[in-house]
Parts: sequence; C-alpha cells; structure tokens
Amino acid sequence: MAKDKTFICVGCPLGCEVTLTINDKGDVVGFAGNKCKEGEKYVLEEYTNPVRTLTATVLTEGSSQPLLAVRTSKPILKTKLVQSMAIIAGARAKPPLKMGDVIVPNLLDTGADLVASSDLSS
Amino acid sequence: MKLKDVDVAVIGAGPAGMAAAIKAREAGAENVVIMERAEELGGLLHQCVHNGFGLLYFNQDLTGPEYGHRFIEKVMDTGIQPLLETMVVRLDEDRQIGAVNTQEGYITFKPKSIVLAMGCRERSRGALNIPGTRPSGVLTAGTAQRFVNVEGFVPGNKTVILGSGDIGMIMARRLTLEGAQVEAVVEILPYIGGLIRNEVQCLHDFEIPLFLQHTITRIHGEERVNAVTIAQVDGRRNPIAGTERTIACDTLLLSVGLIPENELSSMAGIQLDPVTGGALVDELRQTNVPGVFAGGNVLHVHDLVDNVSWESELAGESAAKFAIDGKQGKRGEIRVKAGRNIRYVVPQTISGQREATLYMRVSEPEEMVRIKVGDIMTKGVRVVKPSEMLKIELSAEILKKLKEGTKEIVVDCEKRGGK
Amino acid sequence: MSQIETEVLIIGGGVGGAAIARELSKYKVDATLVEKGVDFGQGITKCSSTIMCQGANVLEFRPEYHNSRLVWAGMPLMEPLCRELDIPFKKIGSLELVENQAGMGHPEKMMRRFNEWSGKYRPAGIEPLQFIDRETLRSWEPNVNKKFIGALYDPNIAINDPVRLTIALAENARRNGVNTLLETEVLGISAGTDEFEVQTNNGSIRCRYIINAAGEYVGKLAQMVNADDFVLYPAKLYQAVLDKKVGGLINHLVIATENGMVTPTIHGNLFFGISPGSQRLGKAHDHSTDKKLADTALRHAQTLVPDISAGDIINSFVGFIVFRNFEIGWHECTVGVSRWVPRFINASIGYPGICATPAVGKEMIEILSQQGLQLEENPKFDPYQKAMPDFSELSDEEKKKLIAQDPRYGHVVCRCETVTEGEIVEAIKRGAKTLDGVKFRCRPGMGRCQGGFCGPRVTKILARELGIPEEEVTKKDGESRNLLYKGKELLEAQQ
Repeated sequence: MAKDKTFICVGCPLGCEVTLTINDKGDVVGFAGNKCKEGEKYVLEEYTNPVRTLTATVLTEGSSQPLLAVRTSKPILKTKLVQSMAIIAGARAKPPLKMGDVIVPNLLDTGADLVASSDLSS
Repeated sequence: MKLKDVDVAVIGAGPAGMAAAIKAREAGAENVVIMERAEELGGLLHQCVHNGFGLLYFNQDLTGPEYGHRFIEKVMDTGIQPLLETMVVRLDEDRQIGAVNTQEGYITFKPKSIVLAMGCRERSRGALNIPGTRPSGVLTAGTAQRFVNVEGFVPGNKTVILGSGDIGMIMARRLTLEGAQVEAVVEILPYIGGLIRNEVQCLHDFEIPLFLQHTITRIHGEERVNAVTIAQVDGRRNPIAGTERTIACDTLLLSVGLIPENELSSMAGIQLDPVTGGALVDELRQTNVPGVFAGGNVLHVHDLVDNVSWESELAGESAAKFAIDGKQGKRGEIRVKAGRNIRYVVPQTISGQREATLYMRVSEPEEMVRIKVGDIMTKGVRVVKPSEMLKIELSAEILKKLKEGTKEIVVDCEKRGGK
Repeated sequence: MSQIETEVLIIGGGVGGAAIARELSKYKVDATLVEKGVDFGQGITKCSSTIMCQGANVLEFRPEYHNSRLVWAGMPLMEPLCRELDIPFKKIGSLELVENQAGMGHPEKMMRRFNEWSGKYRPAGIEPLQFIDRETLRSWEPNVNKKFIGALYDPNIAINDPVRLTIALAENARRNGVNTLLETEVLGISAGTDEFEVQTNNGSIRCRYIINAAGEYVGKLAQMVNADDFVLYPAKLYQAVLDKKVGGLINHLVIATENGMVTPTIHGNLFFGISPGSQRLGKAHDHSTDKKLADTALRHAQTLVPDISAGDIINSFVGFIVFRNFEIGWHECTVGVSRWVPRFINASIGYPGICATPAVGKEMIEILSQQGLQLEENPKFDPYQKAMPDFSELSDEEKKKLIAQDPRYGHVVCRCETVTEGEIVEAIKRGAKTLDGVKFRCRPGMGRCQGGFCGPRVTKILARELGIPEEEVTKKDGESRNLLYKGKELLEAQQ
C-alpha cells in the first residue's frame, strides 16, 4: 500500500512541511504543502537520497595539537553518520598534513574520503 | 615590528579582522597591523568544525577552518603585520592604543585609523539568573565547543541545551556524534532561534527532543549538575505552574545570546546602539570617533560569516581611505530608523551620496511581507525570521530618489495584501 | 596525616578561623587549623551578607551585647590589618535612607543612642554619625531614588574583599607557624579529661583546646561533643553582582531597612542584597537561589537605585548568616567557652562578622589564657604579607617592568578583568588548586563573561602547574570537574 512521507524543506526559512504521495511501486507521485517549486526538488532529494556532510575531529599523534578537524569530501547517506563516527574514533592523524589530505579513504564505501579540514603540524 | 606610522590597526584577527586588514591593504594602505590575543589568526573559525561557511562568499560549502584558511593565507601573502598573543587593553579617544604581550611588554602606538573587529561574547548563566545551585558542568555552548573541537574533551554524557540558536543546535549534533546523549533542547520562544536547516540536520536527524516555549527554572546538583527542571512559559515568558518536569543530566549547555564585545569601544567614547550592542555607524562603517571603524560581530551579531567578511571589507577599505586621505569622509547624516517589525538596521545613518547595503533583523516572524525603505524602495520577501538577517542593497540610483533635505528614512516590514 | 598532636585546634578556615589562627601565631603555641574545603573562605565567608567589611554596625549597637562590643573593638583594627596584609580596604561610608518624617523615628533613635554611648564605648577612630538633608543626599548620590528626603550617614562603613582577607590571614598564620590543613574534614570529636581526640577524613588529631569556627556547621560540631548550649538559625540572603559599567552609579553603601542594600564593591562592581532586616529563615546548608527571592531583591534594589536593571546582573548567589536568638534579632553571637565542655570554645559571629574578627582573635587569646593555655610571645612573628600583583591596577610603566621580569605577565588570560598568566601562576603557587580558587585569588571568572572565555585557558594552566591531566581540574570541592571524558572515550564506550 502507498505510504505518504512528510519532510521539512530546508531550502528557505519558511521550512514548509511537504508531504510526498508515494505509490505502490515506491515512486513519488505528488507533493503537498510546499509553497514553491524549489521545495519539490529538496524534498525529493531528501526522500531518495538523504545525504549529509559529516564534519568531526580526529585525534592526533605526534602533534602538540590534540585534534584535527576533518570533513567528508562530499555528502554521504545520513544513515552512515553514526557508523562513520566509530571509524573516526579509531583514526589518528599524524603530522605533517595539509588541508585536503585524505585521512580515511572511501569512508564506509560511500565514495567520499574523510579529509583534513585544516593543516596539521608537529 | 614597525609600530611607528601604522596606517591601519585592526583589532581582532577573526573573519572580520582578517577581511578588513586584507581589504585595507588592497585599498592602498601601506602599513597594516592586525592584533590578536590568541596564538594564531582565524579567531573562532578554528573551533567551528562544521560546514555551511562560504556558501555565498565563495559559492562553496566550507567548514570554519577551511573558510578561515583562505583569509589567513591572504593575510600572510599581502604583507600585513600580525601581532599575535597581543591583547589590546586600552583604546583612547584620540586613537591611542595600549596593548600587552609577552615579547614587548606594554606597547602603545597611534595608528592613522582603526578597525574594531573584536567579535562578541556569550551570555552567561549568571546573566540569566537561573535559580538553583552552582555546580560544575554548566558551560556556554561556545566554551563547550572549544573543549570538544580544539582541546579534545567531551564535557559530559547526558546533556540538556538551553537555547535553540544555531550554536546550540550545532552542539547538540556535535555532542551526539561524539557519543553523548542530548536529552533536550529547551527554547523559550515559540520558534527556534536558528536556521531551519539546523533544526532538521541537528535535531530531527538525531531525534533530539525540542521543547519550544519552555525554559529552565532550576539547576540541581551540589558539586556537578545532576538535573534541571524545565517548565512551559506563557506569552510573557513566565513559567506556568504545574508544567514543571525534571530532566536528569550531567551537563548543561547554554546558548542564550551573543553580546558584542565593546569594552574598548566604550573606553574610546564610541557611541553604541542599545539595540545591537555595537557602535553607531554610517554606510562606511565609521563610528563617531574620527578614524575608527567597525565591522563584524562587534557591530551587530551576524548569522552568516559571509556577511561578516563583506561588511568588514567595507570597514577596512574605509579605514584605508581615511589613513591615506588623512580625513573623515562626510559622515552619514540621514537617520535610518527601524520601523514596523524591524528590530534594528545597520548602518544607523547614511549619507545618501553613495551606495549602501542595509543589514537588518525583524522582531517577529512573518510571511508574505514587503520591506519598505522610506519611499525609495520596496522588496518582497516570502518569509522573515528574527534569526535570519536581511540585506537590502541601495544603489546610488535608488538613493537619488531621496528628497532634498531628508533627515530620516524609516524601514518598515509590511504585510502584503492578498494571498 | 594519620595521627598528629597539637595544643590548639581551630576548626574552620573562614574569615573567623583564619583571624584566630593569625592571632595565635603571635604566640609560641602549637596550633593547627583544619578546613574541609579545598581553599580558605569558601563557606559563609565567600557569600557573606555583604562583600564588604561593615565598619561599624552602630545602628544595632548595644553595650550589653557581646556581639556589639566585639564589632566596635574590631572595627578600628580592620584598616591597619588590611594594610599589614596588603589587602584593599576602602572607607566609603553608608547612607541609611529616610523616606518621610515618620521614617525619621528609627534613625533618630539610633543617632541618639550612638551619641549617648559614644563617649563611653566609642573606640578611637570611629567618627560620629550625622544626618544629611535632601539636597546633600542628591548631590552626593544623584542616582538614588529621588523619593528619599535624607539619610543617616555613617562615615565608618568600609568595603574590602573578604575571601582575599581570609586567604591572607591564613597564609600569614601559616608563615608564622600555624599548621594549616585543607581538605580536612572533622568527622567526630571525643572529649577526654585533659584532651580531645578528633577524627578527620585524613586521620586523627589529639589536642587540648578546640576552637569551633566552622561557620554554618558550628552547631553540628558542637553537638559532636555535647557542647551545644545554643541554637543557631541560618538566615538566607540573596545577593547579586552587577557589571562594572554600572559600578559608578553610587558612591556610598545605601541601605533602607525595607529595601535591602546596594553598594559599590572594592573591585568596581555594584552589588545588592536583601538586608539582614528582612531576613528569612532558610533551609540549613541550602545554597540554591530561587526566583522569588531574586525578583524581590531586584525590586528592592531598584527602589533604592532606579537605574539598576536585571540586564546588568552578572552573577548572583545565596549567603547565610548564622545567628542566635532569632526572637530578639541580630544582636548576639556565640563566642565563648562551652558551658558544658571545658576547653571547647565556640566562635560564631553571625552578623556583621568580618570586621569583628580581629577582636574575636584577641578575645580567643583571653579565653585560652583563662582556660589554662600558656602564652609566650613569638619573637619571630611577622605581621606582613605581600599581595600578588594586580596587573589591571598597574600603571603602564609598572606593567612594562613586570612583564620584563616575567613575560607571563604579558599574556592576558582573563580579558574581562585583565588578569594575566603571571597572576594565575602566582595564585596557584600560593595555594589555589581549583578554578574557584584561582577566581577568588585573582578574579578570572568574576567578570562579565563569567569564565566563558578564560575557563579553558585557566584549566590548562592549572593542569600544567599542578602536574595533573586537564580533565582532573575541578571547579571547587569534590566531584566538580567540568570535563568528564577525554578524547574519544565516551564514543568508544557507547560502541
């Protein structure tokens, strides 16, 4: 049976609650609640491919700085965020590193690398 | 360190200071000094490991450190003299600066012009006067952010956050990702204090309960916090008896407001706007003290760092021109007043002779409105919220429409008729 | 510690206990002071009803009251004491505001009484009271509510910093031979024929004399040895500290019985509190503030100084006045040897406590001597203490010199109060082990941001100087760390 899903569109400060009408095959066949067309795009994306950029910190080894700020090179599925943090907990960044250097390649097979968000010196 | 014949001294090397200093150099100032009390340039950007910076300025989604990096590089490349680990402790009405550092001890000098870029501080528990005990484990969100993202500590596990501004919501997510249990975000207003994007990506994503129209009525715990009592509030923000509930926690984060840090400004006799907490300025970001300019959070609390950079570039450029020309450009005389549903407008005065960008915030959320700038311009906006700053560009063309002898322009936020 | 022997044991390291210890150090007496907290003055002293020394509570003076006699004896000793200990002290005078002719009755009575007794009891150095009229009041205090028609002016009232005073007294006592033990809590006392056996969390102490200066816990301690022939009542007072930018609103302490008190502080803040006249009994040891009390206090303060606004409050706290004989009021204290247990001496001042302490110290010597203690003068007694440098108060030249001597004075850590790393390191050298310890000795955390900016930095410095990991640094006593987890500990525990 079709099951409608509701999302909040974050395209603009209105934050419309948009309900997607979904048919038996799982396709989106209708939108309700959005006050503009852009909203449809956002919410469709959120339904089919809800991704987030993950940003965090990694412990360092051999640096006077205790942490290195890191980020995913592109957004990853939001369902992988918590698992990613477990990998990040075990990772260590060793200087010298430049902003953009890969810390963990292909994080959880997402195709996104975990990269340094700033330089790291000893 | 050449402190004689300094053209422009910028106080603060966060995003505002860096943008101002770079622009001052680009505008032709020779000897530009940037003073910073921390050990490095970049200000608070280092601890903002999250993304969302530079969407407008660079058309990219950068993290705080990445955004800062671009400006830091430019500062180093353009011959600006950084005076790090240097705290300005005095600013006189004639632009005499007194500062302290470990190398040179106490230094004083008088630059030709100054840009104030000291940023802001967080409102504390003491200022809120929350009843209860005074245990440890009660931190402002920014301080907690420094501990988590720079020093490498997580303050606690079961956390309650007071205030749903962006930093509160961002810390809710950050702490959750670092293994903490965020029990609640408590907000006194009927709507969140920050961006919708953060409500979704920080609170909904992690199923963190949001209590709107609630406040904390008591903090419990002798040595370390062990619980907070929250209650619903009425239309006048008073707790409603009988609605109390107690949430066990070991950490309380406060995200209850930012206050521009204008102690130096007051010392120098700079007139402040009681609503913004920052200086009264014209479209060049000149204050009432000749040769002193201001930009960024020290002037009014921004929500996008992109606007901080643009505004501070204005201040830096103006400061450079003052240093080179040796005189004040004609100070804006036309009062820009906040009208219906407008909490404040910066700049507070304009000359009407040159283009100006008005930054403003509304007092209450509204949909389908029209921002009316006197008789010279209107702009339709679908939705306005206090947490999202609005920008209205007034080109020279538009300003030509001003009637001769205009002393005041009122900016109103009007409801549009119809749908 | 396990087992120590001493002649005189002082229990309590607040302003009372510290003053007594210092007085004792003038003699060759084996004396020990124990304090359960991690630093001195962290009990009633730090949230005393006024963060000032009330130079003369002449309005409440009655020669038949022991309390009054102690206050008047102690008062002229305060300024010289503060000078010896290098502690700030400022006579600002107080104004008891009068609303109308009917309201003149009380101050007139006080003034008459003062004049009546002053010839007989007034110690040297106490100035007379006088009435000032509306015009004078307005010129002296333009920001006081215009409804007041005059005031009773007491020029003797002074302000200082009670915790710094306490710390200086304790340090001076220690330098002159008193053994001071912090984090040492008395758990039990048993009285033998000639001596006491005192159990603490750090072992036992055998002593001949006990001075019970335990502030809020005087009653509890006396009970341990059945020496409690008194009942003490805790009165809860609410106090608030306001931003330095309004510190100049008034020049004197202003007070009106119904409305509490507003005063400048020695550090330049403004301070208001519910006056003792409108006291209410609190739950013993309950240091929490509540909204009703806070709102009432603010309203009262605004009645006195209308320009006070809630937005200027930077911190607030609760203080206790422990006093005796609730029925007749403030006027009596519990200073003297127990009726039932020889050589057990209680020392609870109540209100106003601070300025009486030098006299209490001297009285203790009298009592101890009467109780049999041999008192031989200590020829090596040095009354002087040198305070740590206060960077924010130095001239530009002095700042330069200090930084040249020690570059750490060039690193400003607390920007609200301009406190440098040099001062923080010095405070730690002198005994601060916690964030509050640093705060009370040199002020980081007392400014408008209340430690938001300097907190992480002071934590780092404490960790470095004490040689402990940052996460072990505490705010105050007990389990009051701010940082519970290091690195990815918490995240890994959740896996």
